[in-house]
Amino acid sequence: MKKKPKLRTWIQLALFILIAIIAVNHTLVESGNGIPLLGSASLHAVCPFGGVETLYHLITTDTFVKKIHESSIVLMLIVFVSSLFLGPIFCGWICPMGTFQEWIGKVGKKIFKKKYNRFIPYSIDKYLRYLRYGLLAWVLYMTAISGVLAFEKIDPFFTLFQFWTGEVAISGFIVLGLVMILSLFVERPFCKYACPYGAVLGVFNLFRLIPLRRNTSTCINCKACDRACPMNISVSTSGKVRNHQCISCYECTSDDGACPVPNTMEFRTNKFKTEEITK
Amino acid sequence: MRIKANFAGILLPALFIIGILISSALGYWKTEGSKNPAKYTTGIFEGQANPADIRGSYSFSDLEKAFDIPVETLAKAYGFSGSENPTEIKVKDFEEMYGIIGDLEIGTDSMRLFVSLYKGLPYKPETNTALPQPAWNILNKEGATDKDILSEYSSRVVSLEGFNSSGSNSEADSEQTEEDTTIKGKTTFSELLDWGLSKEQINGILGIDMGATGITVRDFCSDRGIEFSTVKEPLQDLLDNM
Repeated sequence: MKKKPKLRTWIQLALFILIAIIAVNHTLVESGNGIPLLGSASLHAVCPFGGVETLYHLITTDTFVKKIHESSIVLMLIVFVSSLFLGPIFCGWICPMGTFQEWIGKVGKKIFKKKYNRFIPYSIDKYLRYLRYGLLAWVLYMTAISGVLAFEKIDPFFTLFQFWTGEVAISGFIVLGLVMILSLFVERPFCKYACPYGAVLGVFNLFRLIPLRRNTSTCINCKACDRACPMNISVSTSGKVRNHQCISCYECTSDDGACPVPNTMEFRTNKFKTEEITK
Repeated sequence: MRIKANFAGILLPALFIIGILISSALGYWKTEGSKNPAKYTTGIFEGQANPADIRGSYSFSDLEKAFDIPVETLAKAYGFSGSENPTEIKVKDFEEMYGIIGDLEIGTDSMRLFVSLYKGLPYKPETNTALPQPAWNILNKEGATDKDILSEYSSRVVSLEGFNSSGSNSEADSEQTEEDTTIKGKTTFSELLDWGLSKEQINGILGIDMGATGITVRDFCSDRGIEFSTVKEPLQDLLDNM
């Protein structure tokens, strides 16, 4: 029987279409033919990472870096509030770049089956995961000193939704091409190794108020959660998952994910009752 | 308390909607720039709008408000005198319409340079930034920058010859509007006379009698081995100074 699509799939699809419509509409507005009622927001205006990029300028000179507006600050704050409770749920449920990689990943899964997302040895992979923090530091520094969006030229998200505009640098196409190819082998490669916004939101995993918890007293150690995790987190060895790469996708949970045992993998504030009784 | 997937999934889109509604109600939800350039924060120009912050999204109307330069002057400087609605023309349109001419570029930085020289404000342009000939003429005529300083930018002047008043190439479009007195390849002596030049003024620059008024200035020069630009520039100066 064909599996029924989850709510996450629908939300991801809806947001991807919404962002695509906004991007196309902005181009139409530029040529004087915008879609009625949609306004003229640019891609930058609806990207919460723009808020992070402009923070230095906003604090030091009370101005925004070029192409960034107040809307990015609003979206950044909303995502921060949600991340404080649920971690990088934006990455797992909303970000169209993550969605795009997942779609390509479905092709990779069909080709490589169980080998998919298991190509890079853990000994190398664990260090590569910190690359995105280096990139974040570079983006913030370059944007601060230049006043322009330093990441735009290599941003695959910008390239994906602006490729027809003539504003995309060659480097953007190269990075997007690389991400697409890598997505056939690795799930969400950009999120794992290079996304500066994922780096920011990933930090929230360390102190989020509603972490992912594993009920050690009911867990059967089948490792279905490990296999389901797109970010290759070793969920089955943790009681409380605080990994900086978790994207709160719920793919490992009992309710909506791979865990076959009820009330065993959940996002919750407190410990499981059965766990407390066992102790 | 546990958070199920469906609740978590709906929570963030709901937060987006609520946040956007609240910020809209508070007047903070803005997806476009204010079109107010940053001001100088130090020195003798403190408090004045800084041309360095002019952006491609600024229209001529925005620039008029920010720098008190008439839209008509801006339109004339960048070859849009004949445009029906110059107030709506955006600075970034230059890059599409003119782009790179020779080794120089007419784009956003060109407008920054023009505004700075027009208002006598400090600004360091990029090395390949161009100034259109009409803009140069205006700066010489009414710009606030000292002529000695202005002369340092003479190597950046490029002709808009070949482009019509809406910025597109005019090889096949020789019609000029009444207001557009920019000399182009298809401009005839008759049009120069209509715009107010005298036959004596034209002959004085040519060094010989212009002859039939229906002939284009470029063809006249070409037939007689005269470089068109050496005639065009002084004629344009005369027109701009009228």
